[in-house]
Amino acid sequence: MLGLSLREVSAALKQGQVSPMELCQKCLSLIKETKFLNAYITVEEERALKQAEESEKRYEKGQALGILDGIPIAVKDNFSTAGIETTCASNMLKGYIPPYNATVVQKLLDQGAVLLGKTNLDEFAMGSGSTDGIFGPVRNPWSYSKQYREKKKQSHHRADEDSDWLITGGSSGGSAAAVSAFTCFAALGSDTGGSTRNPAALCGLVGLKPTYGLISRYGLIPLVNSMDVPGILTRCVEDAAIVLGILAGHDPKDSTTAQDPVGPFTLPILRDVGKLCIGIPKEYSAPGLSSEVQAFWSKAADLFASKGAKVVEVSLPHTSYSIVCYHVLCTAEVASNMARFDGLEYGHRCNVNVSTEAMYAATRREGFNDVVRGRILSGNFFLLKENYDDYFVKAQKVRRLIANDFVKVFNSGVDVLLTPTTLSNAVPYLEFIKEDNRTRSARDDIFTQSVNMAGLPAVNVPMALSSQGLPIGLQLIGRAFSDQQLLTVAKWFEEQVQFPVIQLQELMDSCQTFSQHKKLASVSLKR
Amino acid sequence: MWRRTLRAALRAGLSPGTTGAVAEARAARVGSSRFAGSDSGKAEGPSPGGRVSAELIEHLERLALVDFRNREGVARLQAAIEFAGQLRAVDTDGVVPMESVLEDRCLYLRADDVVEDSCVEALLQNSQWTVEEYFVAPPGNITLPKQSEQDPVTES
Amino acid sequence: MAAPILRCARAGRCWSLGSRPRRTRALFAEPVPGRVREQSSAALQEPRPGAHEWAAVVGLEIHAQISSNSKLFSGSQVSFLAPPNSSVSFFDASLPGTLPVLNRRCVKAAVMTGLALNCTVNKKSLFDRKHYFYADLPAGYQITQQRLPIAVNGCLTYSLSVGAHWSPSATKTVRIKQIQLEQDSGKSLHDDTRSQTLIDLNRAGVGLMEVVMEPDMSCGAEAATAVRELQLILRALGTSQANMAEGQLRVDANVSVHHPGEPLGVRTEVKNLNSIRFLAKAIDYEIQRQIEELRNGGKILNETRAFDEKLGCTVSMRDKEGKQDYRFMPEPNLPPLILYDAESLPTAADPQQVVNIDWIRERLPELPSVTRGRLVEQYGILPEHSFALLNEDGLLEFFQTVMKETRAEPKKVIGWILSTFLGYLKQRNLAVSESPISPSSLAELLSLVDSKVISLPAAKQVFEELWQNQGKTTGQIIQEKKLELLQNQEELEEICQAVLAEHPQEVMAVKKGNQKVVNKLIGMVRRATEGRADPIRIKQILEKQLQ
Repeated sequence: MLGLSLREVSAALKQGQVSPMELCQKCLSLIKETKFLNAYITVEEERALKQAEESEKRYEKGQALGILDGIPIAVKDNFSTAGIETTCASNMLKGYIPPYNATVVQKLLDQGAVLLGKTNLDEFAMGSGSTDGIFGPVRNPWSYSKQYREKKKQSHHRADEDSDWLITGGSSGGSAAAVSAFTCFAALGSDTGGSTRNPAALCGLVGLKPTYGLISRYGLIPLVNSMDVPGILTRCVEDAAIVLGILAGHDPKDSTTAQDPVGPFTLPILRDVGKLCIGIPKEYSAPGLSSEVQAFWSKAADLFASKGAKVVEVSLPHTSYSIVCYHVLCTAEVASNMARFDGLEYGHRCNVNVSTEAMYAATRREGFNDVVRGRILSGNFFLLKENYDDYFVKAQKVRRLIANDFVKVFNSGVDVLLTPTTLSNAVPYLEFIKEDNRTRSARDDIFTQSVNMAGLPAVNVPMALSSQGLPIGLQLIGRAFSDQQLLTVAKWFEEQVQFPVIQLQELMDSCQTFSQHKKLASVSLKR
Repeated sequence: MWRRTLRAALRAGLSPGTTGAVAEARAARVGSSRFAGSDSGKAEGPSPGGRVSAELIEHLERLALVDFRNREGVARLQAAIEFAGQLRAVDTDGVVPMESVLEDRCLYLRADDVVEDSCVEALLQNSQWTVEEYFVAPPGNITLPKQSEQDPVTES
Repeated sequence: MAAPILRCARAGRCWSLGSRPRRTRALFAEPVPGRVREQSSAALQEPRPGAHEWAAVVGLEIHAQISSNSKLFSGSQVSFLAPPNSSVSFFDASLPGTLPVLNRRCVKAAVMTGLALNCTVNKKSLFDRKHYFYADLPAGYQITQQRLPIAVNGCLTYSLSVGAHWSPSATKTVRIKQIQLEQDSGKSLHDDTRSQTLIDLNRAGVGLMEVVMEPDMSCGAEAATAVRELQLILRALGTSQANMAEGQLRVDANVSVHHPGEPLGVRTEVKNLNSIRFLAKAIDYEIQRQIEELRNGGKILNETRAFDEKLGCTVSMRDKEGKQDYRFMPEPNLPPLILYDAESLPTAADPQQVVNIDWIRERLPELPSVTRGRLVEQYGILPEHSFALLNEDGLLEFFQTVMKETRAEPKKVIGWILSTFLGYLKQRNLAVSESPISPSSLAELLSLVDSKVISLPAAKQVFEELWQNQGKTTGQIIQEKKLELLQNQEELEEICQAVLAEHPQEVMAVKKGNQKVVNKLIGMVRRATEGRADPIRIKQILEKQLQ
């Protein structure tokens, strides 16, 4: 049951095959049993059950609110949730209970979704591994999959279960792990430089980054206001489209949302692939790209071509500068956005009381980790009067060049760009932490962050398993506000590649959680 | 055909493939974790703020109210500055800075209605220190003591 | 609080005699000869040989709180004197994840003010963040308009009085550099006993218009007059109540001195000016202080000084060591603000989303300068009268009400209002709104004088009685005090006859040609009538009888 798609389980709820309460309880049990994944920071058991109960009543009366009614979901812990602790995995906000719901959270709740809890992340969403939060790193469920384990045995690696686990990618790793391990049917992440698409690729999920301005950011605790978007993580493309349909639209509380009407986001079946033009940016053959990913990328391009699509090489000449550009703009905005954390109105407050400045300094020293503090200092450097033009304005100019690259390409007839999402499959945690956060982020975000700078929609679609038995995903990028078209292509692609379901049977069996449904994971995704 | 070009690019060994002489000079640098300073033909002399002076450290710490804590922090800033220096290689003559992808949109205007009632309890609840209905701050904005007066910088 | 009538010669010592290296000379009217010695910068005078002349330069940064229901970027109420933190939204408290949404009314207010000050209203303006840490600034930055404000390049014209009378012979203009929209900060209350500061965020996020006046002024009186005129304009527009005592109008002055012909000196910023009067005082003090400092060989520091009301001087504020850098950055959550005019108006526009500059311009309320002109024309009063009427809060309305209800001539009414009425108010330190005499009462009184029911002196007596506010009407007082003029011609003639009969010597004197004695006789008749006879009529009768 937990392995079904949103549409399927919603139908099951409607037909009474399962009740919202049952569904909720199953998910909550599974969360408990998969606690070692460290995907959740807060689990709201009582609240979730109450919501499920109310949903059940509605179903009984035949008054379901919509397709999401009664569906368990999870939300990344940088979205404000009224009455539920929202920490951003930072000491600065430990114990902070927002008095309001983020617009996206409210929209989901208004549709009757059941909020199971808040998921783990890198502190303040800064990172590409979900390893740098105060609640510890998130483990990739694929570390425990049959597919991965078998490959490991084959290559005669020590099956050291506990210390060899893999990262989820980040920074929305908690949400990715939650969806990947079947504890919920959809999860909200955020995407500033790839934070939704990256963990989606490493955890074998669909990770959608919508167009900037399509979904409200009100209530999303910001990293980079001019690039952040709420991201959607699901197990199939259609589910992502369903959630997008609910979340998209103008929000008077967010002045950066488009005022034009949006939608609908129902996905037609892509019948005429021949009319499609797929662009392959040549600059995305970056150093560090694993040969496996390259091969899959090539294979995917082949696939499109074989079905009649026009596949062309394109150029995004300023790609090589996107990391640097992102680095400057991101740290500058971070420096600004973090200025509000001073302990006075909310959040952590130190015990120093000599003066306001001393209190602020001590609070911020205690509240932020090294990564955050480092970015604040760098950002302030770039914003200094004497540096502003040379760094910040310069980066803004480069941003325009990067955005223009995409505009030119799309104007030349390309519908969708096809690129890798990550350099390789998920790596073991111990290997990952050998380098510092900024180095990693700079490297891992390479395929994803220029999309944020241009504000375009992009989606990761899981394609196949690597030789290690781990997911490899590819990224599709579309024109601004062409999210529906993008997802239509993504859905077609997903259907073609038939990415395998994660096999967590052993894990489940050893947990002995389910009374009725023991054999979950071998259910293939039906249409 | 795209196929041949892609394979060629892949075989050519992972160069970023940007056109132009300038780009070629930077070819090996993309995505790498080496942060060498810029040395392309477009360099304009010593990088501004290239070396992180004690004065700069103090200035930043005061403006940001975040401390470097140790030499590693300073090294991190140094690396960040050098990394950012790579931007100088890009020719941006005549390019208008892009602040936001929304520059062609108009700002939404809200009617002058009072829509938020008093939520003083909700606000005060999250604060660690309140007196009656006020937030409480320490006295004044006394400047932080100078570096020399503080505790010596500790190793991490 | 009664507003001071500003007199350049008395209140301010204006320092700049001789040429100033400024382009604004052309805007100054020619001074009235013989009266200009102490007037600021009006005349092109050569520095007196041997004298060490100084010129002062004053610029102003004025923050006016916008009169609106809700705040600039959030929907919480703009309230004065509300319980602490009771009109604070999540955004005002900088809760993470909250975002700014611009208030249309504030935009309109800024456009109106810009138009009234002859500015160019920018069709596109941008918002920025200005970063600094302070307990009353929850976000650690203020949203303002540094790069591209909503209005630029305007001017404000004001008139200085010279000498003891209100004769606005010196019309000055100060250039308005720009008007920008920005957020107000919260309030800190310092509790020294417990060594803590209490923070109230009710004011945080209220919309402000910052009006920057170029350093075209040269003394306290000029600055004060300019600010006063701005106050009147803002009130006429309704965009700000501009009450300095309540903090709705805050002025910071930038002051420097130099020798005429030499470059400008280092400037200081003077803050904490809570009234027009203190504004003038503080600026003049600071000018004097700088001159003396420089005369003694000292240097002026580029610092911020606060005005200490009790001591009447400026004090250096404990400045931060090290330079301040606001690290301005574009506000990423607010796209550009686009304003339209009749030409650029999009056809299918949502009226709620569109601010049309031309539409606003056509409907701009009457500005003070226009009002003054209209009053002169409408009532035939002198220009200085109109200045005086506008200069006192509520006085114009009072005058106009009286005019509506009385049959007396405007010139007579003006005289009463500006000398008697205003005099009484000033003596007792009252505002027009606190006057015990209503416009109707005064109107009635003046009508009675006009129709010669009572004499002028009698009227003054009645006025005094009315002021005591013992509940008596004009009629009652006149009756009680027997103040009605004797109208009966025969009665008057009899009394005159009687007086003449009693004073044969005086009669003789008059017949001999001594006219002065006539006045004495008039006086006697008046006394005989207990002041109830019109002196002019007495004179007529006596003269007739003496022939």
